[in-house]
Amino acid sequence: MSTTPNTYWRSLNELARNDEYRQLVEREFPENASELTDGYSRRNFLQIMGASIALAGFTACRKPMQKIVPYTRMPENVVHGNPLHYATAMPFMGSVTGLVVTTHEGRPTKVEGNELHPDSLGGTHILHQASTLDLYDPDRSRGIRQGDEARTADDFAAFCASTFTRDKRVAFLSEASSSQTLNRLKRQIAGRFAASTWVTYEPFGEENVLLGTAMAFGAKRRPIHHYDKAAVIASFGDDFLAAGPDSVRAAKQLAKSRKVMSTEDGMNRLYVVESNYTLTGTNADHRIRVKESEIAQALFALAAALGADGFGGHTNAFTGNGDIARLAADLRGANGAALVTAGADQPPAVHAAVAAVNAALSAVGATVTYAALPFADAADQNAAFRALTADLAAGRYDALVMLGTNPVFTATGDVDFKAALSAVPAVVHLASHIDETSAALPSNGWHVPRAHYLEMWGDGLSFTGAASVIQPMIQPLFGAWSEIEVLSTILTGSRTGGHDLVKQTWTGSDWNRILHDGLQAGTSFPAATVRLTGAAAIRAAAEALPTVSGLEVAFKADPKLIDGRTANNGWLQELPDTITKITWDNVALMSPTTAAGYGVEFPRASILRAPADEEPMVAVNVNGKTLELAIWVVPGHADNAITVYTGYGRTHAGRVGNGIGVDVNPARTSSSPLFASATATRIRRTYPIASTQDHHSMEGRPLIREASLSGYREKPDFAAKMVKVPGPIDEAGQPISLFDEQTFPDHEPQWGMTIDLNACTGCGVCTIACQAENNIPVIGKKEVKRGREMHWIRVDRYFSGDVNGNPQVVHQPIPCMNCELAPCEQVCPVAATTHSDDGLNQMTYNRCIGTRYCANNCPFKVRRFNFFNYPKTWLIEGNDPEVVQMAMNPDVTVRFRGVMEKCTYCVQRLNRAKIETKRATGDSRKPADGTVKTACQQACPSDAIYFGDISDTESVVTRTKRNERNYLLLEELNIRPRTSYLAKLRNPNDATA
Amino acid sequence: MAQLFPEWSNRVPRMLLVGSVFFVTAVVFFFWHFGSHDYLEVGYAPKQPIDYSHRLHAGQLGIDCRYCHASVENSAVASIPSTQTCMNCHAQIKVDSPKLALLHESWETGAPIEWVKVHDLPQYSHFNHSAHVNVGVGCESCHGRIDRMEVVMQAAPMSMGWCLDCHNNPGPNLRPVDQVTTMGWVAPPNQFELAAEIIARKNIAPPVYCNACHY
Repeated sequence: MSTTPNTYWRSLNELARNDEYRQLVEREFPENASELTDGYSRRNFLQIMGASIALAGFTACRKPMQKIVPYTRMPENVVHGNPLHYATAMPFMGSVTGLVVTTHEGRPTKVEGNELHPDSLGGTHILHQASTLDLYDPDRSRGIRQGDEARTADDFAAFCASTFTRDKRVAFLSEASSSQTLNRLKRQIAGRFAASTWVTYEPFGEENVLLGTAMAFGAKRRPIHHYDKAAVIASFGDDFLAAGPDSVRAAKQLAKSRKVMSTEDGMNRLYVVESNYTLTGTNADHRIRVKESEIAQALFALAAALGADGFGGHTNAFTGNGDIARLAADLRGANGAALVTAGADQPPAVHAAVAAVNAALSAVGATVTYAALPFADAADQNAAFRALTADLAAGRYDALVMLGTNPVFTATGDVDFKAALSAVPAVVHLASHIDETSAALPSNGWHVPRAHYLEMWGDGLSFTGAASVIQPMIQPLFGAWSEIEVLSTILTGSRTGGHDLVKQTWTGSDWNRILHDGLQAGTSFPAATVRLTGAAAIRAAAEALPTVSGLEVAFKADPKLIDGRTANNGWLQELPDTITKITWDNVALMSPTTAAGYGVEFPRASILRAPADEEPMVAVNVNGKTLELAIWVVPGHADNAITVYTGYGRTHAGRVGNGIGVDVNPARTSSSPLFASATATRIRRTYPIASTQDHHSMEGRPLIREASLSGYREKPDFAAKMVKVPGPIDEAGQPISLFDEQTFPDHEPQWGMTIDLNACTGCGVCTIACQAENNIPVIGKKEVKRGREMHWIRVDRYFSGDVNGNPQVVHQPIPCMNCELAPCEQVCPVAATTHSDDGLNQMTYNRCIGTRYCANNCPFKVRRFNFFNYPKTWLIEGNDPEVVQMAMNPDVTVRFRGVMEKCTYCVQRLNRAKIETKRATGDSRKPADGTVKTACQQACPSDAIYFGDISDTESVVTRTKRNERNYLLLEELNIRPRTSYLAKLRNPNDATA
Repeated sequence: MAQLFPEWSNRVPRMLLVGSVFFVTAVVFFFWHFGSHDYLEVGYAPKQPIDYSHRLHAGQLGIDCRYCHASVENSAVASIPSTQTCMNCHAQIKVDSPKLALLHESWETGAPIEWVKVHDLPQYSHFNHSAHVNVGVGCESCHGRIDRMEVVMQAAPMSMGWCLDCHNNPGPNLRPVDQVTTMGWVAPPNQFELAAEIIARKNIAPPVYCNACHY
């Protein structure tokens, strides 16, 4: 196989090298980025400045008085200034993941994975990292309300006592929950009322998976995949690496066999069959590009090729397809070490077929085990939700209790939940915000503020069945209630604290040990014995699935906002999408060929009348609704198909999420929520999109180095040899430098980092973890569009290959490289960026005067400038917005406007570790290897980032830097970056079908 | 034609020249002196909500610094004691003193006492107490003779130059670690050898790069 450099590009403009792209990259920031164009003119800006300087001049005469507020009664274990760490777990879509939360004086500021927890093993995903910001969301609901009237907790308890009497017909609607306490109360409720219904409503949950296994095995079973045991993995529309209930474990296990450290090491092979390019698709060794509606057909063809039960003689459009035949041969050749998965949003028949295929591959018990869920309802919950809506509208219930969920927003277009609400005499909605559903309650409906998981007692089971207790880090900020507290109040008519309710469930357990560890040791779902009984039913259901022959629209859960539940989280909104690098919007994703059909061709100069910085729009007519969306071209998207993300277009999310993007839920139908046939026409409007894909460009240098596994085995040092370093070499083997060499070889430690591109999945959790750790502000769409985004570590995404066919994608996280001969340091006129003894390129905020020369001279474009006082912009409107400040890390300075900033290798962690090591040992200079981790490294679910002391020849990071895959970016410039990369490998199937 | 300028005007340029030298010197001195930490910071002694006397408690009664500032050896901050710490004694001593009314009110209501910060470093400077007291930098080296202060006063300029003076040459400010809280500690005649021994034993290399404090 070839090891020659591919051509990598980040956007179609870059591929075309058109004028627009050239203009963009030649400027340090896009046009107007350095100008102050909003609100005030230069003249009245100077007036304002003059006035504020005058005022400042007077106020500065007096020293500002700072207060120190100590405790009244000192809590046990608190040492001022030292954070405490507590284990807890975050519930999400019916599973909990074990976390360890850092609290500063009782204020949770950062979450990390719990290394003891089998579904975290120390890793996290973006929703975990961003959850601290949700806790301090100033738009959270502030108290119990009935209609528009504020009510007290006693009022609500009295209402419950009088309303929920035994003779009532009560409906309950909840999110998926594995909480043992919630399910205990649920069983009590079942026997309590004259008639009661409990519906679990999770728009993008695993109900289809459970229905599929029920079809195959006769009972709902959760498939648990063991990616580390599989040599060949095939995903059918399953984005298992994107943030979800099981994604951390999946990333850990997948990365395990992709960390090829020598030519002896093997590597698994990942096939992904999908329509839109997803995170998992970018990591595939083979990606098969089909329309969303064809994924099922491709799977059925595979099932037929493998002789899976029920598919004998089945033929469809994919029968005889070369890719599928080759996949079938590869899966069969893995001798049981093969695994097939399907996306949870695929219809039940697909999951049933997957079960049949895995059984045919002898994968059951090896790479996939099945678990009986103690909390799963036997009935079809998707159908139950539709039936409930109809029953509510028909007045068949006296009361409705909604525990979380936002059905008015998330329900598909054919389900009018809002109308059903008005037909119920008594409604209770537990929600963190006055969201669309709470706003649509009848005038006597109750809204109860819902507790964030960091402020409540609870419990739950992880995806693999590890039992955890959720313990609160802080008192509920706004008098919020947890689900179990509401349920217990409904049952008893008086409020019982969550702690007592959970403790009742866990009587007889080793309570303190469980709280300390974050889980009950040794608990997991036992592997259920399964027998494929529904072969004929699967075949029938499979052949009944609809296909779309013309243009199709696929509705997918947004990887960041899911169904819109995290829409008010600025960190998530501003995190660039894995593939499109779009922030703050949803768009109509389509392939270049499809876009060309709407007159959108590249190079962009041919776009009719579109302003250069706005995107053309398309009106998509689907299920009788029209969605007007910006066109965004994704190379590798299936042709004749459009993908749109849900979760946008919210009206009651809060100040961050309101009015961001377009709500596509009305165009979905409950019979086929995943895809629908559509027509689309180009409209003349254009729309601005803030995508970061061309920002911080490094202009086509060989930054990504990649080879196939066989190519690597032939030539292991392909990456290091790819670039010839010019000029004379000194006796140490280094090129001679013009500048003072600042390596401080005698000083220990010397910090360095290695990033394994083969383990990195590109999920972006490093960016959010860094944002949480380092108080990085959110700046909003308009500012991102101007190229002012503040992320200290970005994940560059490169395409390579055929733009109109099936290009490949590589991700590359770029933090500050901490160059030993840093170009930024040479140009700073005030020595605000200099070198530290332990090899850090340090940024001293108080010295910076904001010339931005350093950013201009940085070849990696990792420096970020505070054009405005960003931390303050979110703190000036609404109901006490300063609550957001509680999310700040007190160990890191909050930067003011006019100051440059960048990745520091988390120097606050390094300094703390050094001081604590010295205190503990009395004399040691440096922390032991592995005891200090940067925020990005700690958060990474696939352990792709190594960090440590490179003066220690035996440290893990030094060993990775000795690896043959190791290479430096822009080595030819002789700037000696401290961050190096391990080259990307792929493991393509060389066999021809 | 009569002379336009009187004779003394010949002296004007010279006077202006001399005067401007004085003026510039005065301006430089003004900012150098009145703008310095020595002038602006040293001697800052704000009124506290309770007239707590360090002279009485630390000086006459001889209470160890760490009885109240308990986290000084383990944390970046020395910490201001909780009301509870005060109440350990004042639950029985001077219970009816009007000066302690606020203390008892705090204990009963749970409302914390809002002390005024005296030693106020800028937010971008991160000072760590534990890193200093555990290697033998005494409390009084920075805070002065607290045991003689009726009202706590800032004794040192706490400017960056002042920090660096010691970071460049820590010897004169080192003492045996068991003496860090001693007030009025007198350096022994062999301070030079003593400091050299502490520096070697504790492996002291005070950082002078920016990131040691600014991040």
